[in-house]
This record gives sequence, C-alpha cells and structure tokens, in this order.
Amino acid sequence: MKLTKILLAVLLLALLVLPAILPAAMVNAAIQMLIAALFACAFNLLCGQGGMLSFGHAAYFGVGSFATLHAMNALNGEGLLPTPLLPLIGALGGFICGLCAGWFATKRAGVYFSMITLALAELLHSLAPHLSMLFGGEAGISSMRSPAWGLDFGDATQVYYLTLGWVVLSIALLYAFTLTPMGRLTFALRENGHRLQFLGYNVHRLRVLVFALSAMFAGIAGGLQALNLESANYVLFDMRFSAEVVLNTYIGGVNVFLGPVLGAALMTFFGNAASDLTQSWLLYQGLLFVLVMMFMPSGLAGLVLCWSAQIRRRGWLAVIPAALSALITAGLLSLAVVFAIETLQRVFSQDYQALLIADQPWPAISLFGREWLPGALLTWAMPLLLGLAGLLVLKLARRQWLRLLDDEPAAGPVALRSRVEGEQS
Amino acid sequence: MSRAILQLRDVHKSFGEAHIIRGAQLELHTGERHAVIGPNGAGKSTLFHLISGQLQPSSGQILLGEEAIQGYSPQHINHLGLSRSFQITNIFPGLSVFENLRIAVMRKHGMQYHFWRSIQRYSEVRAQTEQLLEQVRLQDKQTVCAAELSYSEQRALEIGMTLACDPRVILLDEPMAGMSHEETDYALNLIREVTQGRSLLIVEHDMDVVFSLCDRISVLVYGEVIATGTPDQIRADRRVQEAYLGEEQCA
Repeated sequence: MKLTKILLAVLLLALLVLPAILPAAMVNAAIQMLIAALFACAFNLLCGQGGMLSFGHAAYFGVGSFATLHAMNALNGEGLLPTPLLPLIGALGGFICGLCAGWFATKRAGVYFSMITLALAELLHSLAPHLSMLFGGEAGISSMRSPAWGLDFGDATQVYYLTLGWVVLSIALLYAFTLTPMGRLTFALRENGHRLQFLGYNVHRLRVLVFALSAMFAGIAGGLQALNLESANYVLFDMRFSAEVVLNTYIGGVNVFLGPVLGAALMTFFGNAASDLTQSWLLYQGLLFVLVMMFMPSGLAGLVLCWSAQIRRRGWLAVIPAALSALITAGLLSLAVVFAIETLQRVFSQDYQALLIADQPWPAISLFGREWLPGALLTWAMPLLLGLAGLLVLKLARRQWLRLLDDEPAAGPVALRSRVEGEQS
Repeated sequence: MSRAILQLRDVHKSFGEAHIIRGAQLELHTGERHAVIGPNGAGKSTLFHLISGQLQPSSGQILLGEEAIQGYSPQHINHLGLSRSFQITNIFPGLSVFENLRIAVMRKHGMQYHFWRSIQRYSEVRAQTEQLLEQVRLQDKQTVCAAELSYSEQRALEIGMTLACDPRVILLDEPMAGMSHEETDYALNLIREVTQGRSLLIVEHDMDVVFSLCDRISVLVYGEVIATGTPDQIRADRRVQEAYLGEEQCA
C-alpha cells in the first residue's frame, strides 16, 4: 500500500514536470494520453465495476465534446464559466445523455445491454451529420479557447496543465466513489444484480445512475478533448472509438482500479509513436488484445500485481532471473512478429510493387536501419530464427516461473480480485 | 392462537398450459416456524417465488400482515419486512464475506445512493455487520472471497444476508440441501438461534430437520396444500402418507 502511494506520488511529479522536458509536439501526445486515460477510467466504472459492457461509450465522450464546444462559442469563456471550468458542461451533457440512454439500456443485462448501447451510439452516429444545428453537419463545429484567469491557453503547455488538473481530479473522484456505499453497491451489481433485488435494492435505478455517472466522466474527457482540439465533428461517434476504449480498458485490466488508465495511456502512446513508424498499428493493437485476452485475462495491471506479489514473497533477487527471461522472451517473440509483418507489409505495398521491373531481382527494403533483399534467404529466416530463439527462452522462463509459484496455492483471477477489493473491508 | 402474518388465499400460477400452483391456501402465524414439505415438483420453490415477488401469481391473494403484496417488486416486498434465501446459493461470489454482509446491512440504513462519504465512516453499519458475522460464525472468514468458502459456509452466509434487514418474515428455501450430517446440525442450530422472535417459512427435504425445528407443517402436493398441522398431526395424516408413500402401500 505504501509503495503504491510512493509510486503514485512519483508519477504525479513526473507528469507535472513533463512539459519542461518534452518537445512541444510530444506535449500534445501527452494530452491525448491523459484524455484517453480518463475516458478508459470512466468506462471502467460501468464495465469493470458495474459489470455492464457498453459498446457505445464514444457517444457520451462525443456529446461532452460538442456540449463544451457550444458552451465555448456561446459564453466566450466569460461569466460564470471561464475556459478552465468548461468541461463541466461536457460533464452535464454526458450525464443527461447517460441518464436517458441508460434508462433504456439497463432495462436489459448482458449481451442485450451491450447491443442496446451499440445501437444507441450508431443511431447518434448516423443522425449527427443531419443535425447541423447541434453537430455542425459533416464539417462539424469549431471554436477558440478564450483567455481566463490571466492565462491565454495559447500554447500546448497551458492546455496540458489544464487537462492534467481535470484528469487527476476526475480519477481521484472516481476512486473515492468506489469507497462510498453506492460504489460498493456497484461492485455487488456486477457480482449478482438478482440478489440485490431481494435485499431490497432498486437495481434498475442503481444501474441507470452508474451508467449516467460513467457517461458524465466520459463527458468530461470529451470536454477536455474539445478544449484541446477546439473542434469536433460527427466522426467522434464512430464505432472505432467505442471499440478503442473497450480494448484499452481490457488490455489494462478491468479488475484493478488504475488498470484502464495504464492500458489507455500505453496504447495511446504506442499508437502515437507507431503511426510514424508503421502502417500496421491496428493489426498490432488487435494482436495485443487477443494475446492479453488469451494469456492474461486480468490485463497488464494483473500482470503487475502478479509479479509484485512474487517480489513481496521472495524478494527482488529471486525474481530477477525469471523476470529477465520473461522479458527476453517477450522481446524476441515481438521482434519476430514485427519483422515478419513489416517485411510482408512492405513487400506487398503498392509503392514497392510499382518499383518492380520484370526479370530483375526485387530491390532491397530497409527495416531496422538495414537493407534486406526479398530474394535472400536470411530475410525470411530472420523472423523464424528470432521466433525459435524466443520459444526456447520461453521454455526456460516458464520453468523459472513455475519454480517461483511452487508450494503456493494457485493465484487465479478470482484471488487477485479479492485482494484488490477486499482491502477495504 | 396468534394472528397470521402471511396468508396465501387461493393462489394460482400457470406457465402457459402448465398449472403449477392450484389454489394454494397457507397461513403463517406470527412467531412460528412453519415448514412446507412435499414431493419433488409439487411447486414449493414456485410458491416461494410468488411470495417473494420473483413471480406474479395468475390469480389469488397474498397478504403480508394486512397488505396484499401479490405483484409487488422483490425490493418492495423486502422493504415490507419479508426476506428470503435461495435454494441455489445466491451470494456475491467475487466480494469478501464482510462485504457481502455489509451490502445486505446497508439497505435498511437507506444509504444506497450515498456517494459523498466513505463507507468506513458509517460506524453503525460496521458494528451491525460484525454482529451479523458473529451470529453466523464467519468472523474468521471475513476477508475471504465468498466464492472460496466451503458449501456450508456459503449457506450460512446466505442466511446471514437474509437476516441483515431485520425482517419480520423469513423464507428459507432448502437451506440444508447438499450438507453433511455435521453441517446440517450446525445449520439447524444456527437457524433456530437466528429466527428467534421472527416468523419462519422453510422448505426442506430433510424430515428430521423439519420435525425437530418446526411448530407447524404444510404439505404441498401438485400445487395444493393438502394438509396443515403440528408434526404429530402430519405424521398421522392419511393423505400425507398416500402422497409420500404411494397409494398401493396404504390401500
């Protein structure tokens, strides 16, 4: 517990000094990471804690965005709502839409709930371009950040600090919520809504409120996005964004409070970094999701908890060899996959195909700072060799891990969860 | 004779063609322990579902005290002071034992929408949860995940959750099903203890339990109550023997 607090303090400090270190272009990426982190955290209130998997959460993010933009245009950052407080309008928009949509969606549970949320979001997505008053048609609407409180919000750094403030506050509020009576009931809702009814609770009302709260924080994230980009259009309601938050949340881990934050921040970071380097980011994202679901359903946060439990039990020294071989395995295998995908992607790309001349050997492609001839055996043997080496180390890593687990009751996902949530009892 | 706290008047329930409950009549007196027995498929669980609001009767009246409660929602019926347990263990498996009971205790404090104050600060809820833990003898297990409890411990937890709202009427649906002998003895004492001063309606297959625990017994066969009486009266009742032992042996 103490270590967690120290780590969080260090993280917060790092976030505070970040703009001083980063180049301006990266500050913008950091803002996007923060917004994605808050969005995933808001989504997880509904999904991880309330047990309701929404496939249409981009709708509330988008509504928050548009509401904030309208407020920016209408108020010019003056009066009761100066620019820094504008995300409140996003929150209000998200909350109201969440109440309405949630009232319908939570009438059903499970798959049907997911389908209703999906349908409502798609409805908005297809209606939005036609409602030019509200959503500005296909072009969308735009606005300008007005100066307030002696700040002009002209550069990315000021927007970064504004975003950081809102994100930290919102995540802290979301965490505090899990400790309140209603927050505890939200967990019970996930575990067994039927039993709650027979304990005298109005389950539908509770579900609607949890849905609306989640939509409200998604609306704040949307409002921050509006402040950052100063524009929005109906593409915000696209299914892709709803899917992205689901992927980010699950990759991070739904059963740990900060899991989605971790997942969203990492995925946004890699998405940003990779978009310059590769055209296959979506493929990697999908692969990562499948791997996480198959081999560590409790997500990255679950992995972190698992290893930290081992460190606590055996000490750093005993864990390092296993951790090292696990890292090498991961490195080698991802290198093999990346190598294969990138080579294939380049060889089959239209640009490359246009370079080909009949009866001439295929020209070399550059990858990892070297030239590789598609005709050479090594080019194709490379991923195979890397993969083979990775599998060999994997065997070793597995044996080491099993030795660590020796004489310990198996720590399944259920045990992990109880440790996380039981700490409050 | 004490006043009836729960009455079923000519209750019917059909699912399409299947007529499961056919004019059931039942009276639960204040403060008594009353068992409903009957062969498999007689409709005992359906009867409980009807009383607790899980299902709505096709016709007839269910009175809790003076109030007709048929068709009310489960949470409304719970608010009126009727609480039930389930035949198949129905708890919050991923939460700790303490949390399970605390959630059950919270309800009567009317704080389900409180989101501005940490739950740790509600000392009364904490005290009552601890008292309940002690009552169902799960103090040692309070931090354990409910899914990891043994079967009989889960049943005890289920009973604890049923008691948490301090109900006037308790419905227990086969609390001893699947228990060993020692576990049954333990659960029997537990039920006897915790139902002091309340009215209990219980469905149970273990006849030793029924006859030693209950003041009165009703026999449900094909959706009808064919007899109600003290354990001795029921033992001697000819129709009950027929229903249970088969007609050829009584002929």
